[in-house]
Amino acid sequence: MPTPGADLIRAMAAGDRDAFARFYDRYAPLVFPLVLRIVRDPADAADVLQDTFWEVWRGASTYDPARGTPEAWIVMRARARAIDRVRAVRRRGETFVAPIDEGTAAAPAGPGSDAAARAEQRQLVASALTVLPQPQREVIELAYYAGLTQSEIAERLEQPLGTVKTRIRMALARLREVTHA
Amino acid sequence: MTHEPFETLAPVYALGALDGDDLAIFEAHLPTCSACQASVRDAQETLARVTLSMPPQAPPAAARAALVGRVAERSRVRSPGWLRWAAATAVAAAAAAMFVGTWVAVRYEARLGQMARETAAVREGLARNEAALQEQVAFYRGAVEMLRDPATRVVDLRGQGPASAASGRMLWNDASGGQLFVAGLTPAPAGKTYELWTIADAAPKPAGLFAVDAQGRAVHRVAAERGVKVFAVSLEPEGGVPAPTGPIVLASK
Repeated sequence: MPTPGADLIRAMAAGDRDAFARFYDRYAPLVFPLVLRIVRDPADAADVLQDTFWEVWRGASTYDPARGTPEAWIVMRARARAIDRVRAVRRRGETFVAPIDEGTAAAPAGPGSDAAARAEQRQLVASALTVLPQPQREVIELAYYAGLTQSEIAERLEQPLGTVKTRIRMALARLREVTHA
Repeated sequence: MTHEPFETLAPVYALGALDGDDLAIFEAHLPTCSACQASVRDAQETLARVTLSMPPQAPPAAARAALVGRVAERSRVRSPGWLRWAAATAVAAAAAAMFVGTWVAVRYEARLGQMARETAAVREGLARNEAALQEQVAFYRGAVEMLRDPATRVVDLRGQGPASAASGRMLWNDASGGQLFVAGLTPAPAGKTYELWTIADAAPKPAGLFAVDAQGRAVHRVAAERGVKVFAVSLEPEGGVPAPTGPIVLASK
């Protein structure tokens, strides 16, 4: 069954600029929190968002409804671009500390409304995963938001690789259950 | 191999977290297995729903304006009416080139920026090293010039007390001053420094502070002074003192 998102993508593939604007207005506010959550810096996040939607406009004709919803399509692209950015930043040797248990971690110290806004932002974002037990939420955060691979997560958490894989599988099963409801 | 391990790998793959042998094995298996394709899709949809369950947040308005402007710019290139087919083909090729060009440019800009930063760091390091080397060369040239002068004398300094392994040599010229070479001296502890004293007939006069490198060596330039008979080095509080207070570590006879 075609969704409004799929219709917009089809119109974009035909060169419909208004469809692009409508697609952006519909999805940008939904994926922006994800991008911000991954790259942290608001200016970087805006850049990544622009790259993502530009790719969407250029690549609209490659969208295949049989392979997933428009939501999954845009979310995967946004997440991939954001992780690219984070990895580039890490390669430049700038400080990047992957999050562990930010849902319960204290807000970062520092004056100003920016820090406070970020802490608040983090609280809100973390709430989407609060249904998971802590060990499962941790692996999802490290993989999905910090872009670490299974081996990197195993090393970081000092857990066997098999445990990491199992936790990811269980976490996704649980998330599937709660988001379907 | 049973199918069970793949069912664990599929969600990890969907997260983009698969690596090593697991990734190779799964990627070889995936095109042949519709069940795994469905699991990956399913996991991706779940992650999308989790993401979209976050409270929405509007991106900066400038991002939208820039994108919409960029899209409009590309669209205006389209040529209407006559020659539609040829024009459309040319425009499609141009747009593809532009897309690839933009994409490549964005990637390269990031990479070039990184390289520029790295190059600047290397250049800065070289400049620092070169300055240090030139300073050293000037110092040694000065020492050689002094040795050419028959009025220059070499004064030995002996390690004192716990610093008995240390040694020093002062090239001294009453008219042009001196150069002190120290070896075997432990670097001064935190908050302390080595201070050189020149002693003529009266009280010791401060003749500068110096630090010792990790190999226990130091060189130190001293201003000219008439009638100096004795040189001594003592350990003093950081910043130096007008008259010696700490233990003597080096002294001439």
